[in-house]
Amino acid sequence: MVVDVLKRNNVKVFGRGTQPMVFAHGFGCDQNMWRFITPAFENDYRIVLFDYVGSGHSDLRAYDRTRYGTLGGYVEDLLDVCRALELRDAIVVGHSVSAIVAVLAAKREPHRFAQLVLIGPSPRYINDTDYVGGFDREDIDGLLETMEKNYIGWANYLAPAIMANPDRPELATELAESFCSTDPVIARRFAEVTFLSDNRDDLSGATVPSLILQCSADIIAPVEVGEYVHRHLPLSTLRVMRATGHCPHMSHPEETIREMREYLSGKTHAA
Amino acid sequence: MGKPTLLDEGDVGHAATPDLLDRAPCGFISFRDDGTIIYANATLGHLLGVDVRDLVGESFEKILSVPARIFYQTHFFPLIKLHGRAEEIYLTLRAHSGAAVHVLANAVRSEVAGTVRIDCVMLRIHERQKYEQELLAAKKTAEAANASKMRFLSMVSHDLRTPLGAISGYADVLLLGARGEVNEAQAQDLRRIKEVSRFLLGLLDDILTFARAEAGALTVSRENVGLERVLERVEAIVAEQFEKAGVAYTREPGPVGMTVCGDADRLQQILLNLLGNASKFTPSGGQVSVRWSTDGQQVHIAVADTGRGIPEELLSQIFEPFVQVNREIDARAHKGIGLGLAISRELARAMGGDITVQSAVGQGSTFIVALPAA
Repeated sequence: MVVDVLKRNNVKVFGRGTQPMVFAHGFGCDQNMWRFITPAFENDYRIVLFDYVGSGHSDLRAYDRTRYGTLGGYVEDLLDVCRALELRDAIVVGHSVSAIVAVLAAKREPHRFAQLVLIGPSPRYINDTDYVGGFDREDIDGLLETMEKNYIGWANYLAPAIMANPDRPELATELAESFCSTDPVIARRFAEVTFLSDNRDDLSGATVPSLILQCSADIIAPVEVGEYVHRHLPLSTLRVMRATGHCPHMSHPEETIREMREYLSGKTHAA
Repeated sequence: MGKPTLLDEGDVGHAATPDLLDRAPCGFISFRDDGTIIYANATLGHLLGVDVRDLVGESFEKILSVPARIFYQTHFFPLIKLHGRAEEIYLTLRAHSGAAVHVLANAVRSEVAGTVRIDCVMLRIHERQKYEQELLAAKKTAEAANASKMRFLSMVSHDLRTPLGAISGYADVLLLGARGEVNEAQAQDLRRIKEVSRFLLGLLDDILTFARAEAGALTVSRENVGLERVLERVEAIVAEQFEKAGVAYTREPGPVGMTVCGDADRLQQILLNLLGNASKFTPSGGQVSVRWSTDGQQVHIAVADTGRGIPEELLSQIFEPFVQVNREIDARAHKGIGLGLAISRELARAMGGDITVQSAVGQGSTFIVALPAA
């Protein structure tokens, strides 16, 4: 059976340009998170939005524990979308975990990608000897517990109803609009995959140029991490933004758009 | 009223009521999209053991525990930003002493004259938090216990199959006279041994299938399956049972050449179970019929009997494992452990369908298998 990737990943394509600009959302969210950014680029680019399987309005039935048990499954989702649309010369804008997903995808099939914009990338969230990731293992366990308790209220009673009522998509919508992820088990596994992965060794050997957008005072990806990525990722440009927090594309869209435009037009000077 | 706790009165808009807010029995905090705190009430300061004036101008994240900070950045803030509000969000604050303060938060984001603010109330949930913690722990324990029960069932039924096979095999050897001639009485006993072994094997298969289904490890194929062919195979097997039970079986004419998308063996298993049940629970002289129809999307196969029917209050239970509604009523029902319907429904669901039942006491029951049309 041929998998309908465009349906599976809820792919949306719009814009008046020809060069593709693919937006990959981060953990905990879906393609809606890009809506403050995309209007600025739709005149000049062909915008591609999608949801990872298990997030937003993706097809939950396509979720496979093994495939999505590592970042590799998410890399495959991004590549599947690019393959289905036969993209070449694409710009990928990846937030948080998707920044690393974009790096991995560009290493696998470099011919598809022209440039990467990495918003708040972190190759490893947990501190290690001689490496500051920002978190200890118990912090991540605490996050899993916080998620569990919040999803109890929403998902624990809604998710079985969604599974049992595939003909009532509004149930999934209700939950997706609450937390962008429709299943507590999937959300938990995505959290584990995101926060327990170590992709430091994958940074070297990249051949696609990238812009690292690093927020100041980002507790999820601290400045040290952005600097680490910049040191180890070939052809990368680091820009430390005035924006604080971890979601500058939502909290400071203007600055994010300005940084992206400058980089894409070749005007960015490394910080 | 003490010193103002506002960053800028114009920012907050409730400058006339800080005293009231300070006395409110819940924490209240206002901040910007970038997290900068513009107001916090005295109750929140009390909860955290800090002077709220020190919070103004700081980042909202500062009052959160580390896990809650991640949750704020990955869930809470996107939710508020995208939908303008967030409700019943569980968060852990970090008090000045380092102690965790568990709260439920409701937040609303508003934009007035280009100025954005997020207003958030926080209700401490000390006792409820302990209770929820216990519930969560109990849920995890129950899930783990269920998983180990399923592993146990799967292991035991697997391990019992081998010796049962041997028992049946040796009975065959004896029956064939390989150890010397057997008389008719002995042969009859050996045949009983074989029959009981076969019955036990069937039960073990049910348990194994059920354990797999519960563990989510049931595999079904999806191919085009001709309904009438499967029905013919099933009818050949159950014909004798109907005859022995004195029950008339009819296949009502339905759309010819109907195909479903599913697994032929699994569909056969479902229909065998439903027709087997119908033969067991329909009194002598009764009738059992099969009919089918389609709405284009799904094929509905209905197995109707003129048995005793199932009381309404029990209808919701009959698909639960180890439940037999008629166990007390009908001695024939003892031939089984109540897994058949549970398994059949799991199988139907694994094929993207379902089984439902309609029943009226004294009139009979109709089981409807819905499967995707091919």
